[in-house]
Amino acid sequence: MRKIAEIGVAVLLIVALGQGGWAVEPIKIGVLYPTSGSGAVYGTSAMLGHDMAVEEINAMGGIGGKTPIVTVARDTKLKPAAASAAAKELITKEGVDVLMGGLSAAVGLAISEVARREKVIYIATIPKAIHMTTSKLHPYVFRTAPNTDIEGRGIARTIGQLGAKKLCQIQFDYAYGHDLAAGIAKALPQEAAGAEIVLDLKVKLGATDYNTYIAQIMGAGCEGVVSGLWGAAFITFAQQAQPFGFFEQIKYVSGGEIASHEIASKMKGNYPDNVWSNAYELWYHDASPLHKRYQQELARRQGRPDTDGWPILSYIGVKFIEAAVVKAESVDTQALIAALEGLSIETPVGRRTIDAKTHQANTGQFWGPMKKTDEHEFRIMDPVTYISGD
Amino acid sequence: MLSNPTFLFLQTFNAIALGMNLFIIAAGLTLIFGVLRVINFAHGAFFMLGAYVCYSIVEQAGNFWLGVLGAGLALALLAWIIERGLLRRLYARDPLAQLLFTFGLVLVLGDAVKFIWGTEQYSVAYPAGLSRAVDLGIAHYPAYLLFLCGLGPVVALVLWLGLERTRWGRIMRAARQNREMLALLGVNVPLVYSGVFVVGAALAGIGGALAAPRLALTPGMDANIVIECFIVVIIGGLGSLWGSFLGALILGLVTVFGAVLVPEWEMVLTYALMLAVLLWRPWGFFGREQG
Repeated sequence: MRKIAEIGVAVLLIVALGQGGWAVEPIKIGVLYPTSGSGAVYGTSAMLGHDMAVEEINAMGGIGGKTPIVTVARDTKLKPAAASAAAKELITKEGVDVLMGGLSAAVGLAISEVARREKVIYIATIPKAIHMTTSKLHPYVFRTAPNTDIEGRGIARTIGQLGAKKLCQIQFDYAYGHDLAAGIAKALPQEAAGAEIVLDLKVKLGATDYNTYIAQIMGAGCEGVVSGLWGAAFITFAQQAQPFGFFEQIKYVSGGEIASHEIASKMKGNYPDNVWSNAYELWYHDASPLHKRYQQELARRQGRPDTDGWPILSYIGVKFIEAAVVKAESVDTQALIAALEGLSIETPVGRRTIDAKTHQANTGQFWGPMKKTDEHEFRIMDPVTYISGD
Repeated sequence: MLSNPTFLFLQTFNAIALGMNLFIIAAGLTLIFGVLRVINFAHGAFFMLGAYVCYSIVEQAGNFWLGVLGAGLALALLAWIIERGLLRRLYARDPLAQLLFTFGLVLVLGDAVKFIWGTEQYSVAYPAGLSRAVDLGIAHYPAYLLFLCGLGPVVALVLWLGLERTRWGRIMRAARQNREMLALLGVNVPLVYSGVFVVGAALAGIGGALAAPRLALTPGMDANIVIECFIVVIIGGLGSLWGSFLGALILGLVTVFGAVLVPEWEMVLTYALMLAVLLWRPWGFFGREQG
């Protein structure tokens, strides 16, 4: 009789814990992207990638077929204070197991600080400021986005290939701009010997009048400009610089993913010549089966074949959590941290591995010049070169 | 840097273009204050609305100049409604009530912009025909900014002729001096007030539309411009047209060369300039000493 009871309990436990042996309760992810304001163009794009990954996983019954993902999303409005408050609320009120997202270095650092204090894992899918995984690294923060050193190396390598020696620099005056400038300075001697920055300009984030800076660059006689003006700022800068004949005289090499389709499709014929930049994912490049499947599903959701480049970041973030839960066989924070350290997964844009010590993924970017084509009304990157994050 | 002729040339033109754009906007503010004695905090919001209206018209009709005209007319209509329906009830009250009213307008119009256009950043392309650079010998310079440099003095001259050489101008100047006497002479003073408020707001709207191609449109773009306009009219003298012209030119030069030569002190410089003028000549360059 006792034996039957023991067997019954064991069966119940197996049913309760599932086949893999970890809890069947859903894992709650607190997602923080700007879905209103000037960052909304990327925030909504990132939300799309996040939802796509979560729906794919949940359609299979959840992670490992049994742990569904529940998303609790909050709008950061691209403001560190709003992001910090939302992160805290997600932890204390919603009881999320993991924080994910962030857009802009300042927002990322703010979320990371909350994660450190509250001892909750934070997957930084977009912020790139190097400090997050160096001087401000803590056990709970992991970055699946590239960092400013990786991006700076991409800029320096492109400058080296173009052979520009006299450079001007224009960066935003906040953490991302400062860190990217440091990343470029670090990489220039190795990647572009003899190149020198002769004019270094810092622009207030949110500035809308670039005429003074444009005239300064034109007056300095630089062959190339290195920059990180991203999103709508680049569109405004380019619009104001074009009548000066800026892009006819100067090679513009920029981070900030201004080669992404979000920018190219918005600017269409107004996209200037002589721009070399980066992107996370290009709908027209790399037809691996995994990328093809990802891109087709994204195209279905966006209702057009030319899909955006930013959803991949949040998509990969969710995929890392999925892999970590499978590896840890648990949703416990410490078990997930151990699983994330050194974790390697296959993504639609190649294999990604999180370094066990720095918590930084080896995420590289696609780099190249933006060219006109007869087929499209927008520019595409051609040729495309992948600069690895290793 | 200052020994580089290309640099000096481009930045001087940038300063003039900025100054002339500022003048067109600030002229409306100084006109309203000069006649109505109302410090209109909502002038920046009028400027912002002008830029957004211009953007919408350009998007629909594809013509920038139609956008400028539409912005002026839309702001004139809005100003007419505000003055007739609300502001005129406050003329007899304490100036603080007028100040609070215009401040309230800033908040209402700011939210209206967010409601109608959202919070996304927009840009307006340079108008056809002025979208290229002009070769000025030393360097190429954008034709549109050059157009702004020339437009400022034209607007100043037209406004001056309007104020000094027409019957309406004489009435406006008289309203500034003694509104009771003007009413006794049979002039419809409330109509004059409405007219001045409408013209002032239309200038802000036109200034916003003209600024649209050289800036990006964002909610909150009114905050800076209203401060700059107040600095312009304080330097030049409250109510003085030529004072605003000079003030705008000085502020343009200080802003542009300050940003280049001492970027860390750029903001401080403009306030220091205003402070210095207030200490040395509290009524501004062209203002009249009270009492």
